Order: sequence, then C-alpha cells, then structure tokens
Amino acid sequence: MNTAMRPDIQNPPVVIRTSDVSKRFILRKDKALKERIVNFGRSQKHRSDFWALRDVAFEITAGTSVGLVGANGSGKSTMLKIIGGIIQTDTGFVERRGRVAALLELGAGFHPDLTGRENVYLNGSILGLSQKQTAEYFDSIVEFSEIGEFIDTQVKFYSSGMYVRLAFAIAVHVDPDILLVDEVLAVGDEPFQAKCMNKIREFQRDGRTIVFVSHSAPQIEDLCDRVVVLSHGRIVYDGETEGGIAALRRTFKG
Amino acid sequence: MSNEAQRRADRLRELPFERATASFNGSFGSFVRSIREIAGQRELLGLLVRRELKARYKDSSLGFLWSLIRPLTMLVIYYVAIGQFLGAARGVPDFAIFVFAGLTIWGLYSEIVTGGTTSIIGNAGLIKKVSLPREIFPLAATGSALFNFIVQFIVLIVATIVLGQAPLSWNLLYVPASIAIVLIWGVALGLLLSAVNVYLRDVQYLVEVAMLILFWASPIVYAWSFVVDAAARSGITWLTDLYLANPVTIAVLGFQKGMWVAGSSESVIDGQTIPPQPWPADLDLRIAVMLGIGIVFAIICQRVFQKLQGNFAQEI
Repeated sequence: MNTAMRPDIQNPPVVIRTSDVSKRFILRKDKALKERIVNFGRSQKHRSDFWALRDVAFEITAGTSVGLVGANGSGKSTMLKIIGGIIQTDTGFVERRGRVAALLELGAGFHPDLTGRENVYLNGSILGLSQKQTAEYFDSIVEFSEIGEFIDTQVKFYSSGMYVRLAFAIAVHVDPDILLVDEVLAVGDEPFQAKCMNKIREFQRDGRTIVFVSHSAPQIEDLCDRVVVLSHGRIVYDGETEGGIAALRRTFKG
Repeated sequence: MSNEAQRRADRLRELPFERATASFNGSFGSFVRSIREIAGQRELLGLLVRRELKARYKDSSLGFLWSLIRPLTMLVIYYVAIGQFLGAARGVPDFAIFVFAGLTIWGLYSEIVTGGTTSIIGNAGLIKKVSLPREIFPLAATGSALFNFIVQFIVLIVATIVLGQAPLSWNLLYVPASIAIVLIWGVALGLLLSAVNVYLRDVQYLVEVAMLILFWASPIVYAWSFVVDAAARSGITWLTDLYLANPVTIAVLGFQKGMWVAGSSESVIDGQTIPPQPWPADLDLRIAVMLGIGIVFAIICQRVFQKLQGNFAQEI
C-alpha cells in the first residue's frame, strides 16, 4: 500500500455519488432504411439487449484514487463514461462536483490536418480551457510533450508516440478536481511513461480525485487506494486494493 | 502540499452536486439551460468553425478561393444555359445579378442543412469521448456555411456596385430578414436531421436528393414571374400558395427584392420594355410569419435533438 504519500485530508467531502445506476444497451442489426422496411414487424428478432450495468452504487470522497476494474465487457468503461457525462443512464443517476476531465482517449478531437499548435488550442477548449488559459499553459504543454519544433507541423505527420504525448500534455494541464482515466497511461517510451506516472502522483498529492479504468493489476496496485470490481455489470467487490486484485482474479475464473 | 489538498477538499465541500447528464424533460426551463450551456461554449464553437474552414483547404494552393469558384461556375452555367440558350434572361433584367443573388442565399441554406446533417456522425470521435453540448457540431457547420456565405455576399455587393446596380433602397431591409429566415430554418433542420441521421444513416442521402429538388422549387434560376404565368395558364391558383409555403422560397424572394434593383423597376431588354417584376402579395407578412413559425420549429427541433442525443455515444 502506498497511502503514505497521500495527503491527509480532514473530513473529505464526497465528490462522486452514483445511485443505482443501470444501463441497457440495445443492439440493432439493421441500420439502413431498406433493412428496417424489409424487417418491419419482425424487428424484435433484429434487436437484442443486455444490461451493461445493474444497480451500481458507490460514493467517492475527495482525494482518493479509485481503480474501476473487471474483465472485458464487465461495464467498467461504460461506468466511466456515465461518470464523465458522455452516456446517459437508464435508471439511477450520477452526481459529482468540481471540475471533471475525462481522459478516455488521448487526442480525441485532434484534427490531422491542423498543426500541433492549432490542435493544442482546439483540444484545450474541448477539455474546458479558455483560449487565454491555453495561451498561458502553452509553453509548459509543449515542454511537457517534448514535441519541440514539430509543434507547427500538421499532426498527421506525427508519430503515434508524439501524438499521444501532446494529447497527454494538454490533458494534464486542465487542472481538474476529478480525473477520469481509461487505459491511457501506457503512452510513449519508458521515460515519458515515468513522467506521466510522476504527474499522476503529483495530482494525487494535490488532493485530486482520480478514477482509473485499467487492465493492469500492477498499475492498480501501484496507484489506487480503493478498488471497485465489476462483473457482468454488478459490483462484486468494493474495498482496499489488495482484496480488489484478488477479487478481480476470481472474476476471470468465472 | 497537503495544504493544497485540504484547500481543494474544503472548496469542493461547498460546491453543490450536479448531475453528470441532465435527464431529458420537455420543459422550457431545460431549453433555456441548453441554450445557456451552448452559449458557455462560444469559444469552442469559434475554434470548431475555424477548424472546419482551415482543414478544408489546408493543402490546396488556391485555398479558400475554391469556395468561390464553385458558385461562380454555377453562375456562368446558369447564365449561359438557362439565361441565354433557354431565353430566361429575355424576361429578367440583370439576369446575372438575379441568379447570383439566388445562388448566394440558397448556398447558405443548403450548406447549413447538408453540413449540419452529417456533423454529428462526422465528429463521432468527440461525441464518444468528450462530454460537450452536442448542438455545437451542427452550429459549427452553420458557422462555416455562414463564412462562405459572407464571402459570396461581398462578391455580390461588389458586382452590383461595379454594374451600377448598387442596392441602395429601403428594400435592402429585406436582406437581413431573409438571412434570418434561412439561419433559423437551416439550424432547426440541421439539428433535427443530424440527430436522426445517427439512428438512420439514409437521412444524409435523402437530404442530398431533397436539396436537389428544393433548388428548383425556389425562384433561383428562373424568375417568380414565370411561376405566376405558369399558374395563371394552368388556372390552378393554389399552386402559387403552395409554392410560397416554402420558407426558403420566401427568403430567396426577399433576398432578391433587396439585392436585385432591376427587378423593381421598368427596364428595356433588346428594345422590349419589361415591366417591374411582380412580387408576391404580402411579402412582408409572409416573411414575418416564416420567422415566427421558424422560431417555434427551431425550439421543437432542439427538444427533439436533446431527446435523441442521450444515446448518441452508443449509437454512432
């Protein structure tokens, strides 16, 4: 356990509250008009649904780092998207307070034909920074990303490493109270990964709340002080990290 | 260090909880909230418009001149083929100005609607990964259409001045009213169709075909007088009423009345005296009605969009 490096927060407030969240996905196999007409009346056959989440309820207090884990298809990414406000719930609700930044995909919204500089401003704005703030952080973003002179090159010419490095650099400058992270920490080469981890640790020291979705048990062990394990859309474990990793292993076995 | 964490925690304790996603309800209050949210993203909207414009012509050497070459080519085609070969110019003074005025305002409408329709699908990456008021994507399409329109509009104004037909009269007031009609109806349809297109991809192709038909359903390359004559010949008077029930037709007529001065006075073509062009009765009233209905329609479309957008992220 690494709680030693956590700041001591007196009486931490709840910042994320989910109440009996359920989400049902409906899969339609016919998207085109022709198929809809041809299959009209038999449409039940062409749709199937399943519950991605059932009655998920938990509270997260300020300053904690929570790992949201589970096997593929357990609903963890869906839950993260619901917390991030990208997907609506079918029943229940999620409430949160403070500024939220979602790192669900690095460089979502990068336009390949625009230069790195233009994309920094665009992406900063998408993540909630004003133009003025982005301008203030700009040098620091470029420095963190190690892009250097390529900042005025179109991003379609970037290597995939440069692309995600720039995206990560923008994202960590957003100054969120709550950070939602979906499997995006393993970016760039080893030194850059270490830099990312340092940044995350710094976030933790600042008392920011972080929700990780990850498949990597070592990473969860390293970063989280609480683990929520989902299996088939339900919470099967919610507690300290060590027990969470064990619970996760159990869900793999079925 | 830990002081900062404590300060953050204390600040957060004072904040009210907010729902991650506003659940849909049909109330007017939630409409106002949506508008406020969109207004809060003005800066992003501006950047998205710029992104669209910049990216479109980024690697071409003529750049945004291409956005002018297209309508000018259309002008030449219609001027030669319809004006001269088919003889429409014989009954329409200053045919070039007339056609370009119609093309300019029509271009705005068609670009808003077609661009808007594909805007949600086209930004799938953002829709799926970032929480934003999604109305900004059809609105960004509107913004880039508006930019192209302004460029064309400037060309039109310069052309009228060069040809000694500067549109300096009270009729000029019809121009902003017509642009307003096009913007309101265009944005409304853009919102509605972009949302429906997520669920039914045929919509974008349907819109293309509909635009083709609607182009000829407004007096852009032929004059309104031709419609009046045709209706009179056939003896079916309600045809003109049906024709004028189209908001874009009203906008096109209003725009032409404002920008095309030759249409409002007597003129001589090839030694023949042409009386002033007829304008629909109560054009002012029709414009006001179209604006009114348009606003109601836009509110309804925004509500439908809100209702449908809840499932965008998983339907795309």
